Amino acid sequence: MSKILVVDDSSTVRDEVAGFLRKNGLDVETAVDGKDGLLKMKSSPGIKLVVSDVNMPNMDGLTMAEKIRGELVNTTVNIIMLTTESSPAMKERGKAAGVKGWIVKPFKGDAVLEAFRKLAS
Amino acid sequence: MISSNAQTSIEGILLKAARSRLPQQPDDACEIVPLAHAYDSARPEANVIILTISSILFRLLLVFHFDDDASTREYFSKKTGDVPLQDMLLEICNLCCGAVNQDLLPYFQDLGMSTPYVLSARCLPYLEGLKPDYLSSYAITINGSVKLAATVCVCAHAPIDFVADMTAVEETSGELELF
Repeated sequence: MSKILVVDDSSTVRDEVAGFLRKNGLDVETAVDGKDGLLKMKSSPGIKLVVSDVNMPNMDGLTMAEKIRGELVNTTVNIIMLTTESSPAMKERGKAAGVKGWIVKPFKGDAVLEAFRKLAS
Repeated sequence: MISSNAQTSIEGILLKAARSRLPQQPDDACEIVPLAHAYDSARPEANVIILTISSILFRLLLVFHFDDDASTREYFSKKTGDVPLQDMLLEICNLCCGAVNQDLLPYFQDLGMSTPYVLSARCLPYLEGLKPDYLSSYAITINGSVKLAATVCVCAHAPIDFVADMTAVEETSGELELF
């Protein structure tokens, strides 16, 4: 089964998002920041969708996205940002880094579940 | 350096964010009253949660004080499950600051937001040492028993004048915007 990687420094958000997705039958792995997310991407080739926060310690989500595309040369995994940030400049940086979509927190699982299923398939 | 219009706008944006993000249920009552000083309701041994929003023109600090009492624990721990209460409060403050950030974006394009961090409430009297251009505190009561407070502290690097449009707009958070 294809896997979804949830990256957020907040354990509240990790539990909420991963718990919701697992409850709906999806296979989920979690990471605590961009650096950890990058390690999980290297060790779990089955990940098809990354749902990541932007502002995190050690490595932010946009830098992680740039490294997934650049250093890992992974052009196929779908990357979605789930963040309180909504500035056009941030979104443009995300687009340039190969981010597929943007969700402004708070997370509303029912609004995105079907899209996540498609992006993770 | 911050006009009265801008001060009123910042206050309106903060109170709107507090009302929409701090109560955990839409029907929960949320009463907000101005305080004379940032440290009125904080005990010296308590901790506060701080976030910053920075732009070329200003730096805005948002300080949230939570009472660590039975009412607060009971109210906010309903949703925590296995997550420690402090982690839950950090994310609630992050969402509140994010809502402020979103409402400031139409007027300031270059905003950057910090992650939330915890400091001792002993730092609060030193906010005035930053010589802020705007400093304001509020007591917030949810459902009559959960007491917290919020302080906004803005240091401007240039004159700031704007009038925020506080008319209700459609809530778009939570929706996936595909590129």
